[in-house]
Amino acid sequence: MAGLTLNNVTKKFGAVSVIKGVDLEVNDGDFVVFVGPSGCGKSTLLRVISGLEDVSGGEIRIGDRLVNDVQAARRGVAMVFQSYALYPHLTVEQNMGFGLKVRKVKPADIKTRVREAAATLKLEDFLERYPRELSGGQRQRVAIGRAIVSDPAIFLFDEPLSNLDAELRVHMRAEIAALHQRLGNTMIYVTHDQIEAMTLADRIVILRDGQIEQVGSPRELYSHPKNVFVAQFIGSPKMNVVEAASLSAVSEIGGDLAGVVSVGMRPEHLTVTQPTDGLFRGRVSLSEYTGAGSLLHVEVPGSGTFLVLQNGPEAAETGAEIGLSIEPENVHRFDANGLRIPSSNSLKGET
Amino acid sequence: MKPSTVNDPRRTERAPGLSLKMRGMLTAWLFVSPTVAGFMVFFLGPLIAVVFYSATEWNMLSQTSTFVGWANYQDALTRNPDFWHVMRNSVVFALGLVPMNIALALALAMSLYRPFRGVVVFRTIFFAPVVTSAVAWAIVWKFLLQGEAGAVNQILATVGIDGPNWLREPNWAMFAVIVTRVIKMVGLNMILYIAALQAIPRDFSEAARLEGATNWQIFRMVIWPNLAPATLIIVVITMIGSFKVFDHIYLMTGGGPENGTLVLAFYIYQQAFEFFNVGYASALAIIMFFIVLALTLVQILLRRRGSL
Ligand SMILES: Nc1ncnc2c1ncn2[C@@H]1O[C@H](COP(=O)(O)OP(=O)(O)OP(=O)(O)O)[C@@H](O)[C@H]1O
Ligand SMILES: [Mg+2]
Repeated sequence: MAGLTLNNVTKKFGAVSVIKGVDLEVNDGDFVVFVGPSGCGKSTLLRVISGLEDVSGGEIRIGDRLVNDVQAARRGVAMVFQSYALYPHLTVEQNMGFGLKVRKVKPADIKTRVREAAATLKLEDFLERYPRELSGGQRQRVAIGRAIVSDPAIFLFDEPLSNLDAELRVHMRAEIAALHQRLGNTMIYVTHDQIEAMTLADRIVILRDGQIEQVGSPRELYSHPKNVFVAQFIGSPKMNVVEAASLSAVSEIGGDLAGVVSVGMRPEHLTVTQPTDGLFRGRVSLSEYTGAGSLLHVEVPGSGTFLVLQNGPEAAETGAEIGLSIEPENVHRFDANGLRIPSSNSLKGET
Repeated sequence: MKPSTVNDPRRTERAPGLSLKMRGMLTAWLFVSPTVAGFMVFFLGPLIAVVFYSATEWNMLSQTSTFVGWANYQDALTRNPDFWHVMRNSVVFALGLVPMNIALALALAMSLYRPFRGVVVFRTIFFAPVVTSAVAWAIVWKFLLQGEAGAVNQILATVGIDGPNWLREPNWAMFAVIVTRVIKMVGLNMILYIAALQAIPRDFSEAARLEGATNWQIFRMVIWPNLAPATLIIVVITMIGSFKVFDHIYLMTGGGPENGTLVLAFYIYQQAFEFFNVGYASALAIIMFFIVLALTLVQILLRRRGSL
């Protein structure tokens, strides 16, 4: 087992810079998730770490070892592909034992190790089957099993759950979390699903356009996003960010307003009140019932549309005038560059 | 009776018994009928005629035709030593051509299936002979392979090799026609292999590489097994093609020297149009038909099993 250190890592395809200087320290045993919008370079960064792509600049260390020029197979990493990449002409057992076979491990040892991994993943009954005879979730487990068998220092996952349906995704997510608990290996996991990121990660790395925007625990990112991009990327539905000047109520929120250009309020932190009671008021232009509650689209004159999560069965009706209110510590303040301005109100003892 | 069209609404009303399925069938038959007609006139008709001729002793010169039953087949299979000599040649031709063609096609496809600058140029160069006139191809090679003066031997001479008179010595002639035929046709199999290789997900070889497989292991344990369906089809169509080879032999060696390159298709031609043994030639044609049919059936069976 080992940690991972990236030092000013860059990657270019021809003249196109895809990874633009990434510094990252991953502790041994951490579960780190890379998230970011499509095309931001998550897969590329993972492939650079794995050695499937060579690095254009900077240093990659696995444990203490500089691996820039080490072949992929000798880096001690295993990768779970989005497509699973199971060989269709081999059985589950042969798929899982493939890496040991090419490394000339004795057949008896291969068998033992494959059985062990299969037991971990409840795959014992499927060892003789071919991948086409398995369900999506089972294939996913075989792909993970193949990674386990090779006993890597670091597991790399590239959107492993994106081919599964919603229910199975939740289930496999829990299995991967349990696996991490059991094995304790360092895991690096790429996804663009921020719920997956929040639930799985010890630490989340938010990437945009080949650069790290912020690294932190899910809680840190949620409560202290460094900038507007992170604030809006983490959390669902996404945070309402409006110009501070457009909302007279901002002054009532209190705190130091020097340099505040925009403010952010999460839909789940806004509460619906009588029109006269709220900090500001608006008109419901759309009310989406989701069962546990409703997602309201509220037109606030001068500021635009706010998304508001209203809990409970009672939902404001489309067209209704409502008031909105929020606890001052839940208001995020950003400066002209979109960077977070810490304020005494919203800093509740954490860093 | 006035024919009513299918579109006539009254007809549909008056024929409630004509089910949707029946109407579908009718349309289908209408669409395939030109092909079926062509098949009848240009394939089935001649085939039946050849079956008939094969049971006769028909001399085109004297225009006499007598019914002889199985005699022509007996002639070929048991009496005429030429036939087995010709069959041996055809088998040698196929066994030489098929592996060489496939190995070369695969090697080319492996180097050309991934895009790189100029890849299209290379693909075109190797595919061009396939669409070149077979006549031109054979004549040019015949010229290049001449004894002393031929370009091939002159090039060999520069490295100190005294090349044989390629097309005048039986074994070398067979070798020469096989190789020139391979060069002409390899592009087709190359394209088929390129398509098959491109259909194998890149993840397969990347996953294998990550697990420590060498390039050779990746090829043998991942790529080659996944090419199996393509390889089966390529083997069979190449085999069929090699059994039917005619123009190449006709133009380069004329079946010689000492009948060393006399293969089945060319033998049939010789018997029919040089010696005018139409009955015997027809029997040979039927034998060849069954050989090709057998190979085709093997192909279909293998393909069914492959796509299971
Ligand atoms: N082999 C390549 N050659 C050229 N450009 C590439 C190559 N691979 C990736 N890119 C480019 O690099 C950028 C990042 O790609 P990457 O696949 O890492 O994105 P991603 O964050 O994984 O996106 P997604 O969430 O859609 O998977 C994209 O703009 C892509 O077009
Ligand atoms: Mg990706």
